[in-house]
Amino acid sequence: MNYNLNDLQAKAPKSSTWVSLGKLLKLIKHEQKNLVFALIAILVNSTLNLLGPLIIGDTIDKYIFVQHKDYHGVLVNCCILLAMYLITLLTSYWQTILMGGVGQRMLFTLRNSIFNKLQLLPVGFFNQNKAGDLISRVNNDTDKINQFFSQSLMQFIGSIATMTGAGIFLLAINIKLGSATLVPAAIILLFTLVVSPWVKRKNAKNLTSVGGMSAEIQESLNNFKMIIAFNRRDYFRKRFDSANNQNYGTAISAGLANNIFVPVYGLLSSLAQLIVLAYGIYLISVGEFKIGLLVSYLSYANNFYNPLRQLAALWTNFQVAMAGWDRISLILELETDINTIKAEVTEPSDALLEFRNVYFGYDESKEILHNVSFKLERGKTYALVGPTGGGKTTTASLLARLYDASKGTVFLDGHDIRTYQPVDRTKKIGFILQEPFLFTGTVRENILYGNELYVNHSNEQLEQVINDANLGSLLAIFDKGLDTNVISNSDGISLGQKQLIAFMRAVLRNPELLILDEATANIDTITEKLLSDILNKLPETTTRVIIAHRLNTIENADEIFFVNSGEVIRAGSFDHAMKMLLQGKRSS
Amino acid sequence: MARPKDTKPKPPGIFSLLKPYSGLLSLLILFAIFGNSVNLWLPKIISQGIDDYIRTLITHAHFDINPVIIKFSAAVVVVFVFAYLQSIIQTYTSERVARDLRTRLSDKISRQSAVFIDQVSPSKLLTNLTADVDSIKLFVSQALVSIISSVFIIVAASILLLTINWKLALCVIAIIPIIGGTFAWVLKRVRELFKKSREVIDWLNKVINESILGAAIIRVINSQQLEFDKFLQANTKAKEYGLSILRLFAGLIPVITFTANMAGLSILALGGHFVIMGTMSLGDFAAFNSYLVQLIFPIFVIGFMSNIIAQATASFQRINTVLEMADTSETGTFNEAMRGEIELKNVSVTYGQKPALKDVSFKINAGSKIAIIGPTAAGKSQLLFLLTGLIKPNWGTILFDGHNIEDYNSESFHSQVGFVFQDSIIFNMSIRENIAFSDTVTDESLEKAIDTAELRDFIDGLPQKLNAVVSERGSSLSGGQKQRIMLARALAINPKVLLLDDFTARVDNQTERKILANVQKNYPGLTLISVTQKIASVEHYDQIILLMQGEIIASGKHEELMNTSPEYVQIFDSQQSTSNYELQSK
Repeated sequence: MNYNLNDLQAKAPKSSTWVSLGKLLKLIKHEQKNLVFALIAILVNSTLNLLGPLIIGDTIDKYIFVQHKDYHGVLVNCCILLAMYLITLLTSYWQTILMGGVGQRMLFTLRNSIFNKLQLLPVGFFNQNKAGDLISRVNNDTDKINQFFSQSLMQFIGSIATMTGAGIFLLAINIKLGSATLVPAAIILLFTLVVSPWVKRKNAKNLTSVGGMSAEIQESLNNFKMIIAFNRRDYFRKRFDSANNQNYGTAISAGLANNIFVPVYGLLSSLAQLIVLAYGIYLISVGEFKIGLLVSYLSYANNFYNPLRQLAALWTNFQVAMAGWDRISLILELETDINTIKAEVTEPSDALLEFRNVYFGYDESKEILHNVSFKLERGKTYALVGPTGGGKTTTASLLARLYDASKGTVFLDGHDIRTYQPVDRTKKIGFILQEPFLFTGTVRENILYGNELYVNHSNEQLEQVINDANLGSLLAIFDKGLDTNVISNSDGISLGQKQLIAFMRAVLRNPELLILDEATANIDTITEKLLSDILNKLPETTTRVIIAHRLNTIENADEIFFVNSGEVIRAGSFDHAMKMLLQGKRSS
Repeated sequence: MARPKDTKPKPPGIFSLLKPYSGLLSLLILFAIFGNSVNLWLPKIISQGIDDYIRTLITHAHFDINPVIIKFSAAVVVVFVFAYLQSIIQTYTSERVARDLRTRLSDKISRQSAVFIDQVSPSKLLTNLTADVDSIKLFVSQALVSIISSVFIIVAASILLLTINWKLALCVIAIIPIIGGTFAWVLKRVRELFKKSREVIDWLNKVINESILGAAIIRVINSQQLEFDKFLQANTKAKEYGLSILRLFAGLIPVITFTANMAGLSILALGGHFVIMGTMSLGDFAAFNSYLVQLIFPIFVIGFMSNIIAQATASFQRINTVLEMADTSETGTFNEAMRGEIELKNVSVTYGQKPALKDVSFKINAGSKIAIIGPTAAGKSQLLFLLTGLIKPNWGTILFDGHNIEDYNSESFHSQVGFVFQDSIIFNMSIRENIAFSDTVTDESLEKAIDTAELRDFIDGLPQKLNAVVSERGSSLSGGQKQRIMLARALAINPKVLLLDDFTARVDNQTERKILANVQKNYPGLTLISVTQKIASVEHYDQIILLMQGEIIASGKHEELMNTSPEYVQIFDSQQSTSNYELQSK
């Protein structure tokens, strides 16, 4: 399964802005009621706002620019206007609060669905994408959408409403003059339609280079000690400079593209004013129009083109947001290839775990496991040995269903492992990974991570539980015990300590199958001895699978499997395994 | 307390950043002001057109509209040209400011120590380089020009209004302080909320980051729901802040529109009165309406831009603290070839408040092989970090060939000391670049390193050989392959001293033995210091140092330690049974 986002992006058919928008709007399907109310508020608000100039024009024509001037009439109209303005005070508030609320909730839903999707995708997805790029995609791109929906959306809607209303008034007052006034708007529309895809492309390119730059920074800064130890400070500078300059280039072309709208809109809206003035005066001279109306008409033209000019700026934000949304929806459209299946296709198995004719490769070009079959019995200890790169970790990953076999079946407790719900499967399997990962928090939080059994225990109670599980002596290594602070990805805590936490985390979950993938590689041998005692004291039914290079960790194994060149071979004895290890051809 | 010496000079304001670009910026402001002045002239042209037309209506003369059209068109074209030029300069200037600032930051960061980076945390520096620079970019590209042109428009439009009819103008101008005041009041509250919501977003991002980096363990434990709950909590908070900000704006905008409408109303009531009395022309009346619209918009702009300025200022302060960090002092000048003799005298290191190493002293002869063993968190890695100069001792001295480590020119020093880190650090580039990480590596030494690290078969098996790109975090490689690439990287510089941090942990015994034999053969005279857990592989070493809780418990050859150190014997016993197997299988 291809999960590489940059690859998928290159292959994806270019979608139009409207198609993307349609996908985005699906997220607010359930907000219909609010949207209807908001629409009513917007309609009332715009109508009242637009009636203003009409009344002013009317006042001029009826009471001011006439032979019999009537100031009383002026004042009456002023009172009408005041009443209208008071109503708009309320409708304008409702319009903003309702529309903005929809925007905020949509953003909330959007963030939730992205995060949810991230949780649903399999490990393969994370291995195929750069962490820095993923993080930038999720954080920056949602932020771009965020900026649009929390800041620009209301203006956007308001502008469109005012504009539409003003357009209607322009046409209703005088169809000839109205049509003439709207000609520049048609040109603007055409221009926007033609230019927008280009602008969006430039922005998408820029977002890609921003993602690349973040990934670059992340990689270099996280490995800074390496850069210093190899005296390659210039490496950091050079790599960053090239990412920086690339970003500079794409940012300028995106900026130039984004800035093209404002001057063009300005030019055309001024042109509209000129049309009103020239054509309006002509119409008055032939008796088809009144001078007072010309003043309101100028206002309407302003009311039409000013929001349009704002829309130019907002349109850019909108394009940027849509470019971000496209990159995100790419993630949302991915489906996990690790699904729970219903029917059993193959014969059930009697072992706790069985590989039956399993084939596997991370990609199609290179097969890692080739027709592998073996069984693991309940309560026994198994060791996987073999040269580096031979496929030990891959075998273990398939045992825990981090990946699915490309051919053949893995059985857990008699059934195809794919028929288990994730909750049931993960309860049975504990897997201590080669690279331990800690979450920012305390040792306690990390030990209890994902373990609901002891959440409400006090520290003393928990310590009791830990002691009962024979883990007490491990805790002593942390200077503040359970309350020792842990920062994810920091050098403040040693690799060995991280491995101890991962060990305690897995053991406290009481799995039926416990897999240790070089899980104690960086722990000293005395502590390790302790760990192996703990492993021995696990309930009799617990099956252990141990991957290690240190032979003392596997000496107590009931059975040893030799993993190399796509094969998993059962060794007759420890000596036999040693012989294979020493003589076995290496695949790497 | 007298502390005149401590008081730092006032931090440079954000405007100090713009000095090098003053030429471009003056041009920008000039264009903006010029474009805006012409823009302000437009209503005036129209009002004159109306008045002229009315005059001709009264006098029944012929009205020639052409001069108006020509004047107006000329003005519009000028506005367009200036607006477009302005947008181009704006883009260039802001992007250049951003790029240069990033370059300055990366230069600064590249001169810092590893400890510094770890303390400040890479993610914070990432924010400085991306989000903070972006907000300064926004300041340059939008806020600066917008505010200057807005102030200009407000002042100019007010003056124009006053010249047309000062009484009516005063009524209209009265809205400026009202709108401005409301804006200031709301924005002050909004800014606090923005700050809080920014913190929530940081929190959100942290949850996302950890869920990406910890993806494997989350799937093993099936804790997706847990992560989602964490996220939901942060996201709900973010939504709440978003809605609070929304409520403030929802109140603000109607109030401002209402105030502006009131101004429009007074134009009608008062202006209508003036027109009826004949003290004001209808064209001027129309112009008043147009200017009202032109006047309100800039007030909005100033309000929103003040927000951008506040954010940019905060960002600049954060960036500035990084820029003003002291450089790691490069005082060393000594750059002679090293023999590889190392001596530590009473070295102590504290990590936080906890002592990591206590009064450590030992001496290593050039060309000898030394092992450092000890339990988890004994300070072994810290000791190696000291020897590479990644961290500095709090007390004591470290001598290489009798010269203080600080006296060495760092380039010369690092090109003679190779270090294989415990954690696999693989960069997202080709295997060749990953191994020949230093640019002094020749093809010959690259090949020698590859052979020594037993990577030849692996590399030959790849379709693109040395040019194969390995992915970030090396997820397409096995743990042992990563370790051997790390070793080849350290060997490729032809070091005099090789430091191995638990190198053997992820490499199988057979490969390990081969590799060590290769090292001995291909790099004669190399001083080898190996932190390890396995006594068997270091039994024949010249010296074994036993480290516990930051102190040297014992040191000597294997046989001596077996006789003198009970702790060593204990460790030896813990590995005994299997070690026998290894010996037999030799």
